[in-house]
Amino acid sequence: MADANARLRLCDLQLAQGSRTVLEHISGEFRDGAITALIGANGTGKSTLIQGIMGMLKPIAGRVECSVPKERRAWLPQQLALDLTFPMSVEELVMTGSWPSHGALKGYCAAHYRKGREIMARLGISHLAHRPLGELSGGQRQRALIGRTLMQEAELLLLDEPFANVDAETVEVLMRVLRDMASEGATIIVVLHDMEQLARLADETVVLASGHARWVSVESVLQPLRSAAPASFLSQAIGGVSPC
Amino acid sequence: MLTLLHEWLIAPFDYGFMKRALIASFALSLAAPPMGVFLVLRGMSLIGDAMAHAILPGVALGFLLAGFSLPMMSLGGILSGLLVAVLAGSVSQMSGQREDAAMASFFLISLAAGVMIISLGGSSVDLTHVLFGSILAVNTTSLLLIAAISSLIVITLAVIFRALVVECLDPLFLRGQGVRGSLVHGVFLGLVVLNLTAGFQTLGTLMAVGLMMLPATAARFWSKRLEGLIAVAIGIALVASTGGLLLSYHFNMPSGPAIILLAGVGYVFSALFGSQHSLRRRLRRRAAPLGAPEPH
Repeated sequence: MADANARLRLCDLQLAQGSRTVLEHISGEFRDGAITALIGANGTGKSTLIQGIMGMLKPIAGRVECSVPKERRAWLPQQLALDLTFPMSVEELVMTGSWPSHGALKGYCAAHYRKGREIMARLGISHLAHRPLGELSGGQRQRALIGRTLMQEAELLLLDEPFANVDAETVEVLMRVLRDMASEGATIIVVLHDMEQLARLADETVVLASGHARWVSVESVLQPLRSAAPASFLSQAIGGVSPC
Repeated sequence: MLTLLHEWLIAPFDYGFMKRALIASFALSLAAPPMGVFLVLRGMSLIGDAMAHAILPGVALGFLLAGFSLPMMSLGGILSGLLVAVLAGSVSQMSGQREDAAMASFFLISLAAGVMIISLGGSSVDLTHVLFGSILAVNTTSLLLIAAISSLIVITLAVIFRALVVECLDPLFLRGQGVRGSLVHGVFLGLVVLNLTAGFQTLGTLMAVGLMMLPATAARFWSKRLEGLIAVAIGIALVASTGGLLLSYHFNMPSGPAIILLAGVGYVFSALFGSQHSLRRRLRRRAAPLGAPEPH
């Protein structure tokens, strides 16, 4: 599983929220072109780890080594900071994905619009192109936001529970798109709670519990659940009763 | 008929002072409404008001030191406006108090300090002049300064436009790109201060904010799109400025309040008859029928 050339690696990382250390001694690589599921009970630091990887939270110790350029990193947080009253259409939101690499001053050219339309067609939201953001359902909004990351040509994509409050059809579309992005080489990290989604989507799993992280195979996460005799570390992570 | 129209609408601008007033208010009408639109979208509609009070002590000090010199008063205004913005920001960061509370405290202090400084050094005529402006007394130097500041605002706004949009819409996206939202926010507040200092000569410190906010709040009733909001707001500001100047000329009204009141009429009209969320729309709104089901 170790990949010496991985574009994203954590080296003895320690992260804190305020004065409380949430995670420590986290070392490992995220394989390029793979979808890694991040699992753990509430409060085990999944969002903290994502913030650390995005560079929004300075490490107390250790470091995040990421060779993906900033304009190719995308993050969809669980608590959206998106202002839904802002007068912007779906197409305009998708197009903002080109800003980081295209620059702040240049206008869009025909190729940008073409790409935007292709992306919306791929996500099944072409008919919503001119709809204001405030009038979208949760699933439609999530598709539009994934559209923005596609426009951005994101090579590192961090998603915090992307399928929460989203309709089943959207889940299918998003899973297919994420799979395509990964096969094109993107490194994708997804916070997941649903084991069925994990089984279908993830190539690898990182389990967070008691301030530590463990890289494990998807099978080893699913196996104990199926056999109804969870290993203590996993049961703690997935929300079972702690053995102590 | 044509003669009458000419006499009412065109002839007043044969006078040099009316020409200068018109150009000054056009410059302000191009620069101020876009700022107002962003303030409204960011839920900071009252910040403009707070900043208008904040520039007062600086304007007053400039007035005391150099008399009625627009460059000195503007410089003072910019400095005190920025000082209050920075102080309010730091106090709220250090104490955890909300920024609007800190801002409210500082702008009240500023207002009192400004009025005190002018009263100690000047007369009540001066006070009225600074508080409410005198657009008909704009000379060429003032006009150049207003035009220069307005141009600077429009250009800077164009440069930071995308960052500003993203910062309003989705601050986390901007942070993810390594751009500090607070920097964009700071530049934007700086522009608000600049805009108000450009406006105080013509409209007065307290009225200058009117040309920024009223067209912007009115535009919300006409457009769902950002470009539309900005275009409508600028349009309303231009009409209010021209109309206000004409009213002030023909009926011997004070020009600043005439302009702002006309913008206010625009706001009330928009709220009643606009194409978005207006009273008219609300009364007319009916749920559209789903239509016949598609045949299987």
